[in-house]
Amino acid sequence: MVLDRRLLLRGAFQGSAVAMALPLLDCFLDGNGQAFADTGKRIPTRFGTYFWGCGLTKELFVPKTMGANYETTQQLGSLEPYKKKISVFSGLRAIVDDNPNFQHWTGLAAITTGISPTKSGEFDSQTIDQTIADTIGHGTRFKSIEATCAGNKNESYSSLGGANTNPPEVSPLGLYTRLFGPGFQDPSKGDWKPDPQVLVHQSMLSVVADDRKRLMYNLSASDKARMDQYFTSVRELEQSMEAALKRPDVIAKVEIPAAPGEMPVSKSVPELQKVVPLMARLIALALATNQTHVFNIALAEPGSTIFMPGDSKPFHQQTHEEPIDPVLGYQPISANFSTHSMKFFATLIKELEDIKEGDGTLLDHSLVLAYTDTSFAKLHALDGIPILLAGSANGRIKTGYHIAGEGSPVSRVGLTVQQAMGLPIDGWGKGSMATKKAFTEILA
Amino acid sequence: MQAKALLICLSVWALAVPASQPVLAASAGEEAGLRLLTESEYRNSIRDIFGADILVQGRFDPARRAGGLLAASSTVLSVTPAGLESFSKMADSIAAQVVDQKHREKLIGCAPKEANTADDTCAGAFLDRYGRLLFRRPLTTDELKSRVKLAGDLAKSGHDFYVGLSDGLATLLYSPDFLFRHEIAVPAAGGKAYTLDSYSRAARLSFMLWDTTPDADLLKAAESGRLNTAAGIAEQVDRLMSSPRLETGMRAFFADMLQLDTFGNTTKDSIIYPKYNAQIAAAAQEETLRTVMDLGLKSNDDIRNLMTTQKTYINRVLASIYDVPFDFHGEWMPHQFPEAAGRSGLVTQVSTLSMFSHPGRSSPTERGVAIMDIFLCEPTPLPPANVDFSIVNNTNGPLKTVRERLLAHATTPTCASCHNHSDPIGLTLEHFDSTGAHRLYENGALIDVSGTIQGKTFMGGQGLGRYLHDNPKFPACLARKLYSYGVGANSEDVNPSVYKTAYKAFVDGGYRLRTLLKAMVTSPNYFDAAPPSAADTKTAMNTAK
Repeated sequence: MVLDRRLLLRGAFQGSAVAMALPLLDCFLDGNGQAFADTGKRIPTRFGTYFWGCGLTKELFVPKTMGANYETTQQLGSLEPYKKKISVFSGLRAIVDDNPNFQHWTGLAAITTGISPTKSGEFDSQTIDQTIADTIGHGTRFKSIEATCAGNKNESYSSLGGANTNPPEVSPLGLYTRLFGPGFQDPSKGDWKPDPQVLVHQSMLSVVADDRKRLMYNLSASDKARMDQYFTSVRELEQSMEAALKRPDVIAKVEIPAAPGEMPVSKSVPELQKVVPLMARLIALALATNQTHVFNIALAEPGSTIFMPGDSKPFHQQTHEEPIDPVLGYQPISANFSTHSMKFFATLIKELEDIKEGDGTLLDHSLVLAYTDTSFAKLHALDGIPILLAGSANGRIKTGYHIAGEGSPVSRVGLTVQQAMGLPIDGWGKGSMATKKAFTEILA
Repeated sequence: MQAKALLICLSVWALAVPASQPVLAASAGEEAGLRLLTESEYRNSIRDIFGADILVQGRFDPARRAGGLLAASSTVLSVTPAGLESFSKMADSIAAQVVDQKHREKLIGCAPKEANTADDTCAGAFLDRYGRLLFRRPLTTDELKSRVKLAGDLAKSGHDFYVGLSDGLATLLYSPDFLFRHEIAVPAAGGKAYTLDSYSRAARLSFMLWDTTPDADLLKAAESGRLNTAAGIAEQVDRLMSSPRLETGMRAFFADMLQLDTFGNTTKDSIIYPKYNAQIAAAAQEETLRTVMDLGLKSNDDIRNLMTTQKTYINRVLASIYDVPFDFHGEWMPHQFPEAAGRSGLVTQVSTLSMFSHPGRSSPTERGVAIMDIFLCEPTPLPPANVDFSIVNNTNGPLKTVRERLLAHATTPTCASCHNHSDPIGLTLEHFDSTGAHRLYENGALIDVSGTIQGKTFMGGQGLGRYLHDNPKFPACLARKLYSYGVGANSEDVNPSVYKTAYKAFVDGGYRLRTLLKAMVTSPNYFDAAPPSAADTKTAMNTAK
């Protein structure tokens, strides 16, 4: 008789009880608050992205002073309370090389892949969050979680490459259900136990996985890549099931709230003001309960069409059509939308900062990359691009600086971020954006 | 008889061959295409295999439109980790419903000897039967064997035959053999060229005409090899096309071609347009599909009349947008617009007008770009990156209407090349606001709805409808999209010579949809496959000709 992993798992579970394979973890922290007393493990470092469309208003966004203690500007005003934990990069460039400037796409793809995209709407490699998730995303229920605030299921900028994107949750209720609906058990509760269904699912998945060899046979290269992606998804699901058999480490004391109700979700700013805080809170709780270590949240699409009720022109339209006010020197209505985009980011930061973990906050143990698709949206400009980094990645990155990119490729930030997240790489990006120069001055 | 054969098989398996030998594809041919099921193909397949009362609840990875069709992404996309998570949950839920108390008697077709343990005979018969329906071909011995074993193991450990059976079924439901349509190429008679094998033909016909998985008749025709003959195809096409289910298939095609999914991302500013709501969005899609089905399938009328007809169907909420009295008998009623309403076919329906507008105002450019892309297969290139649009916006200046503002903007040569195409089309629709309601003034100025394209001058939506009706590019575009939809290609890569016989029949027969459809799917070219060596350029399978 051939021994079968499925039955072994099953047998172990049916036999002498759960506790054998799954010792309950006591979750008291050690004296210095950085590690669990019983396991010696450090508090995990989390990574996330926040995407907003249509860039910035340079005159109102870029701080006049450099380095630490930079002067807060109008568009960064909402981030003032967290200023010491946020670094601002200005003056970065996305370099297209031989490709066109795909409006509202090139900048986004350049920041997330370090590569000038060859097609609009597609990524020429997997995105940075997935590369990081390959390192830190396993051992949790979800390798990564994607969400978008304006209700459009196409608005995810996390990808394993190509045209496929990791589909986002599009409403607070959807995000809540995915994270805390069926299949979720609160790890801080005493009655946590592994769900026997997980073992069943593992044996089912292995039946499907056994077909891999046959299915990969005889395919063209492009279809082989697609079939391979299917089986990558199978492996990821297997890994997440394996993680589901272990009680997640409890680091923060948080209460999982009741499910939010159905609510209107759209690009209208007042509706976003209700939706974004709920989404941000759920993301923070997902991190705090170790359901995932990686998240991606988008405010709206690149070329953002968020709008103010009663005003017939949405953000994107305004950036192109609103005249530059000769006295102010910028487009006041468009600027207002950029300011809102930063306020929404501040909402996310607040939620991360509000959760205490060890001797710090969830934000201290995270690194959040906030990025956009262009700088001056009116001209789809690819120079002067801003990026924000929030959180110190468990002390791996110094925060609270304004760094002038001086025309550096955006990929330098991506490289810096990956090094801070502990990835063993010394270079990143392609073509003119290939770089080996991280912003070492902020790496701790 | 069948059960007996299965028993023999099972006893042979019991001798246990290690399962690690590579097993060849089920059909002895070359894989020529891999097409991810669309959401509606998945839903319809489940409904037709297990019954309409089996609920399918879950999320599908979004499709992406290429060459004007979402269908084209079926040959490009794969299954993401979150997508598989969702497919596996849906599979569990579907399988659990199939074996529950309510459905088991009807759907399982046999009963276990004992309900609290494995019964390989009953499980084998069940999984074999549904495996063939789900995979659209018979299961291989190994595929069946692994599922029967799983169902048996889990039935024993869970002390429940039905739980094991449900889990065995679920593995079929999220297998790539169900989620993807494998199109298998075999050498065509005569040597050099390749063509689809009979099971792939059955699927291509069924998904095209009914938007669902092949039924028992089609699978039988595939099994017997009858679908490898012209007569066999003609028989099946006649059967499929004379069924009322043809409407399901054509609704799916037109919903894709007319980009009705755009409603998923359409919001209107409730301060400016308080009437607009989700009910109107749903009704507008239904209005458009009813119009197309009525004219194209039921009346078998000249399909070009979709651009000019003043007949439509309305319900209560649409009556409020169209500002016509609604007769409260029944949910939908036919409606004929008077000439003075300015309406003309699909281009002046609420669907087209509201999908391609901003939340707070109409957009002649978006409308023009969409109409050229959807009806004429003329996609507009992206505008140059570095453009100053200020003049278009300044409503406080001397230029009151969007026409004046756009024209001023389009005097810039780089802008003009595209705007001269799209704007005249969109500007003729300016008598309809962002929700499709009629108006005569913008910012107090009377709206001019004249347009000139390629020397032809016309007026308003009715002039535009007539222009499109008479433009040979419209029926040509419809044929191009229909073919691309059927074979899963990007319409921009398709060489029209592949379906030229069908197109000729369409033109000669007075532009009837049924004529086009029948000629297309009965043409031997419809099942052409790329030779395996060229398989990498598969999105352009059609260019193999």
